[in-house]
Amino acid sequence: MKTLKFAILLVLAFAIPVAVSQETPITLEAAKEQGRNKSRYLKETKAAADTSDAIPKANVATFQKSVQPILIKSCVNCHGPKKAKGRLRIDQLNPDLLTGPDVEKWREIFNAISKSEMPPENEPDYALSPTNLGSIVDWLSEELNKASLVRRNSKEHSSFRRLTKYEYDYALQDLLGLPYALANKLPPESKTEDGFKNNSELLQISATQFETYREIALKALKRATVSGERPKAVTYIISMQQELDKASSAKNAKTFDKSEASYRKNKNQQHLFNRETGKGVLFSSLNSMPQAKAVAGQIPPDSQVALVLPEGKELKLNLDRYLPDEGIMRVRIRAARSSMNPDEYASLRLILSAHTSNNADFSEVISSRDIPVTASDDKAQWIHFDVPLNDVQRNPFRKLATTFPRRDEFLHIRNVSNATVGEDRLKVLIDYIEISAPFFEQWPPKTHTNIFFESDNKHDEKVYGREVLNRFLRRIWRRPVTSQEVDKFVALFAKYRPEFSTFEDAMVEVLATALATPEFLYLTQRATADDKKSPAKISEFELASRLSIFLWSSIPDEELLKLAEQGKLRKPEILSDQVKRMLADPRARRFSQNFVEQWLGLDGLNSVTHIPAGPLKEAIQEEPIAFFEEVLKHNHSVMDFIHSDYAVVNERLAAHYGMKKVYGPHFRKVPIAPEMNRGGLLTGAAVLAMNSDGKDSHPLKRGVWMLKRILHDPPPPPPPDVPEVDLTNPEILKMTLKERIADHRNKAACASCHSRIDPWGIAFENYDALGVFRTHINNKPVDATSELFNRQTLAGMDGLKRYLLTDRQDQFARAMVHKLTAYGLGRPLTFGDRAEIDNLTAQFRRRGDGLRDLINLIVNSNLFNSK
Amino acid sequence: MNIKSESLSRRTFLRGTGVALALPWFETFAAGAPSSDETPKRFLSVYHPDGVGIPLKSDPAWKDWCWFPRGGEKDFELTKVLDVLQPLRNDITIYSGLSHPAARQVHGHSNADQYLTGAPIGGSGPYQNSISLDQVYAEYAGDFTRHSSLVMSTNGGVGGPRGAQTQSFNREGRPIPAMNKPKEIFDMLFVTSGKDAAARLARSKSALDLLTDHTRSLARELSSKDQETLKQYLDAVRDTELKLAKAQKWIDTPIPKVDTRNLHLNAEPKEAKLYFQTMYELIYLAFLSDSTRVATFQLGRENGEGPHDLLSLAVGLGGAHGLTHEVKKPNGWKNLGTYNRYQAEEFGRFVQRLKDTQEPTGKGNMLDNTFAMHGSASSSFHLSRNYPIISAGGKNLGFTNGRYLKFGKGNEDNQAGAGIDTDSGWQGKVQVEELPLAKLFVTVLQRLGIKTDSFGGYTGSLSRV
Repeated sequence: MKTLKFAILLVLAFAIPVAVSQETPITLEAAKEQGRNKSRYLKETKAAADTSDAIPKANVATFQKSVQPILIKSCVNCHGPKKAKGRLRIDQLNPDLLTGPDVEKWREIFNAISKSEMPPENEPDYALSPTNLGSIVDWLSEELNKASLVRRNSKEHSSFRRLTKYEYDYALQDLLGLPYALANKLPPESKTEDGFKNNSELLQISATQFETYREIALKALKRATVSGERPKAVTYIISMQQELDKASSAKNAKTFDKSEASYRKNKNQQHLFNRETGKGVLFSSLNSMPQAKAVAGQIPPDSQVALVLPEGKELKLNLDRYLPDEGIMRVRIRAARSSMNPDEYASLRLILSAHTSNNADFSEVISSRDIPVTASDDKAQWIHFDVPLNDVQRNPFRKLATTFPRRDEFLHIRNVSNATVGEDRLKVLIDYIEISAPFFEQWPPKTHTNIFFESDNKHDEKVYGREVLNRFLRRIWRRPVTSQEVDKFVALFAKYRPEFSTFEDAMVEVLATALATPEFLYLTQRATADDKKSPAKISEFELASRLSIFLWSSIPDEELLKLAEQGKLRKPEILSDQVKRMLADPRARRFSQNFVEQWLGLDGLNSVTHIPAGPLKEAIQEEPIAFFEEVLKHNHSVMDFIHSDYAVVNERLAAHYGMKKVYGPHFRKVPIAPEMNRGGLLTGAAVLAMNSDGKDSHPLKRGVWMLKRILHDPPPPPPPDVPEVDLTNPEILKMTLKERIADHRNKAACASCHSRIDPWGIAFENYDALGVFRTHINNKPVDATSELFNRQTLAGMDGLKRYLLTDRQDQFARAMVHKLTAYGLGRPLTFGDRAEIDNLTAQFRRRGDGLRDLINLIVNSNLFNSK
Repeated sequence: MNIKSESLSRRTFLRGTGVALALPWFETFAAGAPSSDETPKRFLSVYHPDGVGIPLKSDPAWKDWCWFPRGGEKDFELTKVLDVLQPLRNDITIYSGLSHPAARQVHGHSNADQYLTGAPIGGSGPYQNSISLDQVYAEYAGDFTRHSSLVMSTNGGVGGPRGAQTQSFNREGRPIPAMNKPKEIFDMLFVTSGKDAAARLARSKSALDLLTDHTRSLARELSSKDQETLKQYLDAVRDTELKLAKAQKWIDTPIPKVDTRNLHLNAEPKEAKLYFQTMYELIYLAFLSDSTRVATFQLGRENGEGPHDLLSLAVGLGGAHGLTHEVKKPNGWKNLGTYNRYQAEEFGRFVQRLKDTQEPTGKGNMLDNTFAMHGSASSSFHLSRNYPIISAGGKNLGFTNGRYLKFGKGNEDNQAGAGIDTDSGWQGKVQVEELPLAKLFVTVLQRLGIKTDSFGGYTGSLSRV
């Protein structure tokens, strides 16, 4: 794509906010209001784009009468026979956009005018009157829409695609009821230029991948189902009362008494303590052996003895070598807080480690999340962790007959807390721990009876086998199945059965094959007789799948399937109820996470190395997702992504931003004042850090990011013949980054692109590589002022936000609609979708830009309901 | 770790922050598709833990018992440690100045795991490895043989994280269990019936038939554009069928008969000489019968203890690991050197046997078509730098032997880290320049016919090899 330059001087009625800065600038919130009033979408009086079946015709008459004369007068001098800047000759463009070949060029002309890049400010001779400008814009926008409608039916891209790695994983988890990752073995997905991983054009399949699907499915099914008697669990029970007795009588025991002066020091150490006697002993680790007669799940009497676990400390339990190879390990801990100061929090984390020989050790966090301790001392709570033992790094030597390398495995229970200071700082009190594996909630487990359910026909393998298959296939194909379809699987089962000792073992092999069918692995859309009518609608079942993949990254549940079966799902009120229900479901978290990660390109954080793994990195990564969830939950305007007067942070991130009085690891909405220099996504550490070079800010990266992710206006790739920045040149090495960029921009070959990219990024200069706000770089005041291509001055981040909110709301709103729709459809959007996207954007803006409204608009749209 | 960051061009970067990374799944990596009757190209890696002896020049032991040769590329002089290889001088190459960068400041005991992978596994905490050199080649060469690779070690199994008892790791970075009992290895190679495998194959075939059938009927209900997409799925099924057909071919092919005269199938590591020789003989027979073209063999484990640390009994010495700690005791350098000499002697015997055997289905002798390497991930006491590596053979693959190749800068006489016997040694700052061992791996893969220019994140091959 070549950048266009034309010499139309354009004085958009609203594009002169540069000179108003004499007075006190309005607040950003006021700028939002002001900008909204300028929306083209809100001003449009005509009805939404006509999507009826009538065949539109090009309006060449209007072009000849009222557009062509203006173009000849104002444009052709630079884009005509004399000069053809940007290789564009406006005089040669075909004005029939519906059938002519120049629609792409007209689209670029329209964009350049909308972005007020053209005509250049410095060519006053070619100025257009507002009336003339209106004539061009009105004609172009109508013709482009008509052209888009005509092309919509050419079906360049289809939503028929296989599930992504993460969708496949969630689908298996939901189907089988196994709440942990199952598909790690699949290769990672590629991404489009837009960052989306669910794009139908990219989702390929290979033989190795196909075999991996079969392997994963069989393994997962074997985990979900059981055979034979309930296995005997290995159970460890640790009572702190007993541990205190043992520890106090040990040689070198560091005992103390509450009455002693040393207690003041000891009470903030890790220790066992008897409340009744006031006696304690320093204590950090213990050895435990499974008890043959122990029964898990008991509630022991309250104890006067507790382990006192301060912030950052851990209890290390040597479990020897008796944990089984597979199954869930349930760790039950009775815990409480030592004090109830609401500013202090504490949570528990599990770690498994082994020290097999010198310099051959490992440790791994095995709890999927930290569990907060919230109960007061007089009302202790039960905390339980379920850990799939197959999935964690185990000590491979645990079954050796000899004692070297060492066979033990250690479980660490760590207190993750913010209570680091104060005489009476918060500690976690633990009086009882129980470890049991394999753990089953019931026998046979629910994951088993989901597949092998109770039936009167259970005694008849043939009949029951068909029942099992029928139910399973309906669920995984997300549609009713015919008996002929089931027949094939029944036949396969009959073939397998003699080779296996049990019905279940043979059936699991057949079910694994079913999970390798394209109708499970792909999002299908069947052709029907209806397809002649365009655009053809997808079926209600296909809608159910599209909806659940969109909002849950997984297959539909029973309720969605039932509604589809009844033919009710598409009813607007039912659809909107379902969207509401789905967004309230915990699975909706997957939508926020996957959409935001892909939209913003958050995995860029993994390719920068300056943020060490840990709570800060986790918080930085989580913030945009938590922010998105907040906006989604309350149907806030998407303009909050540009700027908001609140932030969504946790304690670690708040500290990073210099915000006070935010305690605890959970994210919550916090009001912020303008002088915090935060609010919205642009000033989040994630965006700032991943668009750095690891040491300092990187204006170019930030500019490109801004154009691609926020404005959906990606810069063209650099032409092959532009010079690289010569880092062997000592003159260039001496320059600051901003100077280097400016130097590069000043080269003629680079200028045309960089003058469109760099200024956006320079406006971010007040934020360093970690996203910390700064006023100085190397003792020099930060210069974050830049000038956009259209002569618009951006005064730092505030100026950037102000400009976006005042003058670019339509562009951003449309970008949001585009990105969410592309994600929802799982395919690239093309010119043929333009009219629909415009239509959606208009409705979205009229409804007030709410994020939740946008999701409803999308799922009700023609696009979402069509093939 | 972002190896490429320095050379990340402005252009690459401009394509996107969050650049679209189209990651192939390394399936069809190899150049062309040679048929199975071409002359086999083979790969062997032998690993020994605990490194080698490198005394200071000022030490009287230096002259005889420094592992590395003296002199230059062609005129090098072997010390008493490697003089057993003198008859094979023109068939071997000795390397210095190579190591995996991420491990250079990690205790040598942790590093057997990354010898063939180059992964930054670190010294503690969570553990993640990546695919090993032999397995990259096995993914390709395994198509032509009954077994894709033969993974052996004296200790067997996988060992533990940072205490590997195998050199081989799969594409996911998971260890591949090594076999250590000669009898079991022999049975797997030359006895197993394959009845279970046949039943499994038959089941897979029925499943694939069903899937093909079901997919075809689905295709009839799709638009022509969507049928195109679905075709890719059908192709994947078809390719899988071809793989099954290959597997079936092996089941139907009679197991080769081999000469078992030199095998002592019940030998144990404490009968060091018998065990050593039997294990090498098994590799030889597996190669000769073209049962596999890829083998790894690990002698003992890092930080060894117990019976498997007793290979040094072959030369009448105590625990092998202990020898590295006792270099400053009387005869210390000599003892360690003597054990290393014995390792080289057995390796040499194997190399000679390949050299003496005419290639059954091709040109030259078996050694000409085999690249066999022998080495460790530490040199001096627990020091994970300047890996002591010997390679042999590979003439028909493009290797020119009879050379001592020094890479890197500032350590031409191998004195960096020489003579150390405390932990401050391996923890010390890296003062000299070494090249990533992965560059040698790239060269090896290329010569074995794999189209690649990088390994483990390192791009480029090694010049002069």
